[in-house]
Order: sequence, then structure tokens, then C-alpha cells
Amino acid sequence: MGNTLLEFKNLVTEFHTEGTTVKAVNGVSFTLNKGETIGIVGESGSGKSVTSLSAMRLIPSPPGKISGGEIIFHQKDGNSTDLLKISEEEMRKFRGNDIAMIFQEPMTSLNPVFTCGDQVMEAIMLHQKLDKKAAKALTIKLFEEVQLPTPERIFSTYPHQISGGQKQRVMIAMAMSCQPSVLIADEPTTALDVTVQKTILHLMQNLQKEHDMGIMFITHDLGVIAELADKVVVMYKGNIVEQGNVWDIFTNPQHPYTKGLLACRPPLDKRYTSLPTVSDFMKIDENGEIIDNGISVAEFTKDLAIPESERAARQKTLFAKEPILQIKNLKTYFPIKNGFFGGITDHVKAVDNITFDVYPGETLGLVGESGCGKTTCGRTIIRLEEPTEGQMIYKGQDIAKMNADELRVFRKDVQIIFQDPYSSLNPRMTIGNAIMEPMQVHGILENDEQRKKRVEELLTRVSLDPAHFYRYPHEFSGGQRQRIGIARALAVNPKFIICDESVSALDVSVQAQVLNLLNELKEEFGLTYIFISHDLSVVKYMSDRMVVMQAGKIEEMGDADQIYNKPGTPYTQKLIDAIPEGKLEDIKNHLESKGVKVK
Amino acid sequence: MIAFCIKKITYSILVLWGVLTLVFFLFNVLPGDPARMMLDQREDSEQLEALKQKYGFDKPISSQYFLYLNDLSPLSFHSKNKDVFHYLESGKYNYTTIFETQKSAMVVKFPYLRESFVKRGKTVSSIISDTFPNTFVLAFASICIALFIGIFLGVISAVYKDSLLDRLALFLSVLGMSVPSFFSAILFAWFFGFLLSDITGLSMTGSLYEVDDYGRGEFVNLKNLILPAITLGIRPLSVIVQLTRNSLLEVLKADYMRTAIAKGLSKFVVLFKHGLRNALNPVVTAVSGWFASMLAGAVFVEYIFAWNGIGKEIVDALNNLDLPVVMGAVLFIATIFVVVNIVVDIFYGILDPRIT
Repeated sequence: MGNTLLEFKNLVTEFHTEGTTVKAVNGVSFTLNKGETIGIVGESGSGKSVTSLSAMRLIPSPPGKISGGEIIFHQKDGNSTDLLKISEEEMRKFRGNDIAMIFQEPMTSLNPVFTCGDQVMEAIMLHQKLDKKAAKALTIKLFEEVQLPTPERIFSTYPHQISGGQKQRVMIAMAMSCQPSVLIADEPTTALDVTVQKTILHLMQNLQKEHDMGIMFITHDLGVIAELADKVVVMYKGNIVEQGNVWDIFTNPQHPYTKGLLACRPPLDKRYTSLPTVSDFMKIDENGEIIDNGISVAEFTKDLAIPESERAARQKTLFAKEPILQIKNLKTYFPIKNGFFGGITDHVKAVDNITFDVYPGETLGLVGESGCGKTTCGRTIIRLEEPTEGQMIYKGQDIAKMNADELRVFRKDVQIIFQDPYSSLNPRMTIGNAIMEPMQVHGILENDEQRKKRVEELLTRVSLDPAHFYRYPHEFSGGQRQRIGIARALAVNPKFIICDESVSALDVSVQAQVLNLLNELKEEFGLTYIFISHDLSVVKYMSDRMVVMQAGKIEEMGDADQIYNKPGTPYTQKLIDAIPEGKLEDIKNHLESKGVKVK
Repeated sequence: MIAFCIKKITYSILVLWGVLTLVFFLFNVLPGDPARMMLDQREDSEQLEALKQKYGFDKPISSQYFLYLNDLSPLSFHSKNKDVFHYLESGKYNYTTIFETQKSAMVVKFPYLRESFVKRGKTVSSIISDTFPNTFVLAFASICIALFIGIFLGVISAVYKDSLLDRLALFLSVLGMSVPSFFSAILFAWFFGFLLSDITGLSMTGSLYEVDDYGRGEFVNLKNLILPAITLGIRPLSVIVQLTRNSLLEVLKADYMRTAIAKGLSKFVVLFKHGLRNALNPVVTAVSGWFASMLAGAVFVEYIFAWNGIGKEIVDALNNLDLPVVMGAVLFIATIFVVVNIVVDIFYGILDPRIT
């Protein structure tokens, strides 16, 4: 057992709310060894985060409570401690010192009122009993180690002055500061761009090799797991459904849920009529037991792929039509106000002279990293932002020149589905009313009775229960809320929908369902989409043509498959390389770099 | 930072000018003839004319306005002719000449707020400087009481949310907010200054400076401060308890608090260093506004405790239509508000670096 770092034995963590008890983690056991990376995978609500927070004893109590099991930590000096049995005071000595943690949201995980340096120094001074000067020197050394540019400058900046990726590096520096033996990373890259994600993952691998740490890496994305994990633990509803060597899990998944997770990622080499989802591989009976449909991934996906010839034929008829929307030399600048009387001194060129057409029935993908202007572009098209210059011609009419009345008619035709399903629904409005509201505004149907009937039809169409009409948004999961958002957009019978990062906040398994729904609706209602996302794999899967944006300008535009297969610019190439594809070669590469033989 | 200050100060001057203009015209269209009031019963048209000339009431309102502005402005023009209204009189102005000709001079001076109509010969500046320190001491003491006890109770309430302690603190704060100050003032004065005065040694009324019974001049009596300061502090205290509690409860849920715990910091450091500093912004906003309005005088409390403050002075002046005192006090108070606002803006920047 000389190599064991952390043992989870039958861990049970419960949450008590309003008289009911939910077992968020229900009897979880696994072991983490020295120099090993365990990937814990599952969708939100699977208990993966709760498992890791339990190890730090960071479960908010009340309502949470660790009610059973053991978490044994084997210290460097050979002693072992059950972390669940020691006092809070003793636990503090382990936190940050022996076991460190990185969180999902780098934006909010650093205290806004202290400098980055101060926050890292604090941990060093606490555990290593160094004085201020030595702690500062060590902090700057750590900042160098996590490859932050100008470490001395970053030391004295506040978190809001640096980028998300840099913040996550500061968090990593903080976690590494006392040379912990265990590093717990709770979705550390989910909120970051793929290119940034790649560098962070790379950094974590290097640090692990140098310091021989054990890493618990929590994610919902199997692609990321393939890049760095040795072992995989798959969690579903508080239980471990499968665990084992990463190679075995990827090549020969046993549990239907694992199969579903592996299959539901949008494939990059082909297109499916619809993405496989978890429910294609398993069913849940009345007692909550999982029933295996007994089908393998290969078997299931065999007939799904759309042949290349069929796609080509479809595109031919598609681009023969007149464009439904023409964007010509569009510019959207945001003024920077400064100077004595708040005069405009400069502009942020969010969208800087872009031109493209959208054909009816097409899905046009808009892809780029955060801050590239893709969202502003989408918002400008429906005049949520005012364009500075340029034309946007929709069915022969310039959107930029429409008056209030024309704009109202136009907005009935063109709808937007937003990114955040949590904040884009009014929490004080029932979802039925939220969907009905745009119908009332645009005078669709004669009275509320008819409209209510239509809302119920729409709810059924997006696979929600019509009886949910009188419920409030907080009663729904993220995926369900996004369905509500889709139903609301459909309520006014639009011709054109802009999906602004509509699946970015969702788990991979839920993302597949929503993408399938979007594709079905497109066929059914004859819609045209502009699909905006930072995730090139999703955009590539969804789109006919793709526009790659960088710094407000179009980097590249063309057929989605062609751009993916033969990227024309180094930037596109970089974006493509950064996608964690979860290919077997990736697993082989990183396992072999560790000296593990794979057949 | 310097640009920020200059911008703020420029805006402030514009605000003060606006207040001044508004107040001047407002009080000059009010019914009632101050000259007549000053003469009281002894009406005599010659005396009336003399008074009107002395105070400039015989001039059209626009020139009265500019003369007032000239008196107030730190940079002003004056005539050397004794008969003119804006004669450069050394008794009136405390000035340094920067430019002069035979007939007139341009000077830099302390703003001249004129003389009281009622208290003859007493300048408005001296009235303010006599009473304002009393008000300042009272307001400062109350706000300190409110801040310390309020933040302390608010933190306790937030940390022990839904406990008996929390409910008690909330109950008291609701009570404190709903009791009008004139009522609590009377209650406190009667209870501690009368019923229990043998134990507490406090008296019902009294100002900061008291004349010694044996004729040995004035002395500071800090004991007199206790009751009015507590009375005046009750309402801000109650508000601060709730603000601190609610804002800290939000902050406790924040991700960076979890990061702080994950670092292995003690509960105390997590709460006070990482938590409280983030929670104090709304408290600063509330306290600053409250403090500024207290500096404008807490009329009820000052009256009931016979505290010789600026609020009491303004009410007296309003009763007597003592316009220079009223206008001077309003301007002075506006200046205080402006200054407090600038200080608070700078303070925000220190508290939360995201703001600057």
C-alpha cells in the first residue's frame, strides 16, 4: 500500500432539504495512487463534485452531511488518517497543505478585493510559516512555474485585471504552493476556451510529473479525460457505475451509461442523422433501476451516418436559392468613455467589417474564442446592439434602417436562444406564461385560451410535460430550461433562429439531446440557423458552412467539413488542434509517455 | 486618480452653484419682508429705507443674486468706494488682495456668508462654527456606535443564521427602525436621565460645553453626549445590522469563500478578512448618506436634549425668517454632502479595487 494516497471507502453524503433526504453520493469507493490521475466523469447531479468536496470536508452544512464511510489519507510520513473522523481544526492543516483544490469557475473563485499575489502568499505563510519576503519570492517562482507572463506584475494585479485562463493559473499556483500530495481539480477547464484548456491541461500534466502528485480530475467531458487520466471513475446518480483503466473504458465500456457518454459526443469525422444519447443505451424502470438495452456503440452508430453524397446533394439545392440574410461590411463598435466630461476617446471594435450571407434552410456556424465578437455579431443582427456601420439585409430590407414597427415584425421572424438557461428566464414567471408572452406581444392566435393550447403543444414538442405550464424556472434542470428557451423562440413561428452558445452550459449528454432537438425542429419548421459557439466540434457537427472569427474579423469562411479537414489559417488549425477529441491515439500517447504499455 | 479627483471637484462646484441659485431664488420669492421683521413694531419709513439699503433689498433681485455670489466666491471683485454695497471692508472680509486699481480690487477670500438678521452683528460663519462642532461630535459618536455594534450584530446574525440570536437581532433592528427618534429621545431622556439618573449620573438635557456653576468658564461635558448619541445611533444601527447580515450572507455563498476555506485558513480569517471586506460596500453607502444627513443636524434629538447643534440653529432661523443664516446653513450642509460623497467614492476604490 506504499503508493496509496487517498482511499474512498463507501462514502455516503446526503443533503437534507424541506424534509426530504437526497443521497448525492451513495456508497462510493475508489483509490488514488501516487503519480496517478483519476478522471471522475458524470453529468451534473451525478455526485462527482460532492465526492471531491467531501474529501476536503467542504460540503456546506446544513443542508449537506457526510453520513457514512471513510476517506483515508496516507501522509508523506507513513501515517494514515481518516479525514472524516478528525476535528475541523486538524482538518485545516490538511487543506491547502496536503490536499489542494482547483475549482470550476476561475472568474469567481478568487477574492476580488485582494491581489493575486496576496492570495497565494496567504496559503504559503499559513502552512510553511515563511515570512512575507520569502513568501513573495516563492509566489513569484510559482507564477513562473505555471507560466504566467510577467509574474512580478501579476503578483500585484487584482483578479479582474487578468484573463480567465490566467486566473486559473493563479488558482493552480495557489494549489501547488505547499506541494500537496493530492490535487483535486473540479472541472478546472470547463469555463475556458479550448485553446486555453489545452495549455492548462498540459501544465497540470507537467506539474504532476515533477511533483509526483495524485490528481482527481472531475469533468463531464470524456474527451478531456482521454488527454490525461490513467483511471476513470464513471458516476451516475450518486453511484459509481463503472471504474477502471482509461484504455479499457474507452475501448470496451461495460456499463450502458458509459457507452452512452462515449457515443453522445458530436463526432468530427462524420455526420449522424441524430446523435446517440444515453437513453439509447439504457432505460430506467419504475424503481429507478438501470436496464441495459444490450447494444454496443459500434452497433448503434452503424446506420446513423449520413453519406457524403447525400450531404453534397442537399447543399447543392441549398446554395442555389437567394440568401435570406446578407451581412455587408458590418461593424459594431463599443465606445470607451473617458476624459473630462466622459467624451468618447476610443472604441472596442467588437465586430470589425464582416461580410457573409445566410441561405434559407442552412445552418451557418459562427465559431471563435471568447471575445472574438461572435456573440456581438448575433446580437447586432437582431438589433440588440446597434450597428456602427454596414448593411444587414433580411428579405430585401436593411435591418439597420428599420423603424420600431418594422423591427417588431422582423423580430417575430427572427428569434434568439441565449446561452445561459439559468438567467434568461424570468424567475417570477411560470414557464407557460414565459412562452405565451411573445405570442401576446405579436398578436399570434386570437385569445389566451388558444395560445395556452399552442404552448402545451410546443412543450410536448420539446419533450416536456404540458402539465408543466404552471411551474417556475427553478424547478427545472439546465437541459429542460434550454428546451423551454427553444419553445419560447418557436412560439412566434420564426423563420430564422440565432442560437447563441445555446448548448455551452450543458453537459455533453444533455447537449446531444438538445442538438438533436434543434436539428429535428429545423426540418419540421423549415428553419434557418446561425449557430454560435466556442466549441468547434459542435459547430462543425451542426453547420453546413462555418465562419471562424478572431478579434472581430472573419478569419476563414467556407464549408464546415472542408475547413475542418483543411484549415486555411494557422488560427483555425490551432483551434482544431485544441479540441479534446477523446481519440484512442491520445490515450495511447499520454499513457506511453508515462511508461505504461498499451497493446 | 488625480484626474478622478479633479473631475469630482469640478462636478461638486457645479452642484454647489446649483444649490446656491435655487436656495437664493426660493427664499427671495417667499412672502415676508425681512427688513420689516427686523424693525419689529418700531416701524419708521426712514429706518426701513436705511435697512433696505444696508442689506441691498432696494436692488433688483438679479443684482442681489450677483452680489451674493460675489460675497460667496473665494475669488471676488470689490469696490473701494465706501457707499457701494460691495465695498471692500476689512471687518467683513478676510482677504488677500491679488490685483487692485484705484477704484476696485480683486481679492482671494474666505467665502463671506453675511450677517444674521436677528442676532445683530453676528456673522453666519461664526454661528455655524459655534454650533457645527457640537453637531459633528454628536453625529460622529452616533455613527461610530452604529457602525461597531451594527456590523458586529450583523456578522453574528449572518453566521448564526436562523438561530435564536439571529432572530433576536433582527427583531431589535426592526424595532429600532420603526421607533421615531423624537419618541426614543424622550424615552431615553426620561428613563436614563430622570428615573435612573442617580445610578447613571446622567442628566436629561445638556450640551457638549457647559458653563461651570462656579463661574470658572466653559468646560467639556462628555457625559452629556451619551444619551443623544445613542438615541441618534439607533436607526442607522438597525439598518446596518440588516445590511451587513444580508450582504454577508450573499458573500458567504461566493466561490472565493470556498477557495479561502480550501486553503486551510481559520474560520475567523475566512470570515473577517475574505468575507467582511466584500460585504461592506452597501454598508458604506448607507453609512455615508446617513452620516452626512446627521451632520445637517438632528433636529428632534438636538431639541429634546437641548444640544446646541446646527439643526436647532436652522429651525430657530427659519422661525425668525433669518435668511442669511438659513441660506448659509443650507450651503454649508450641501458642501458637507459633497465632501462626504467624494470621500466615500475614494473609500469605495480602496474597499473594492474593481471600481477604480
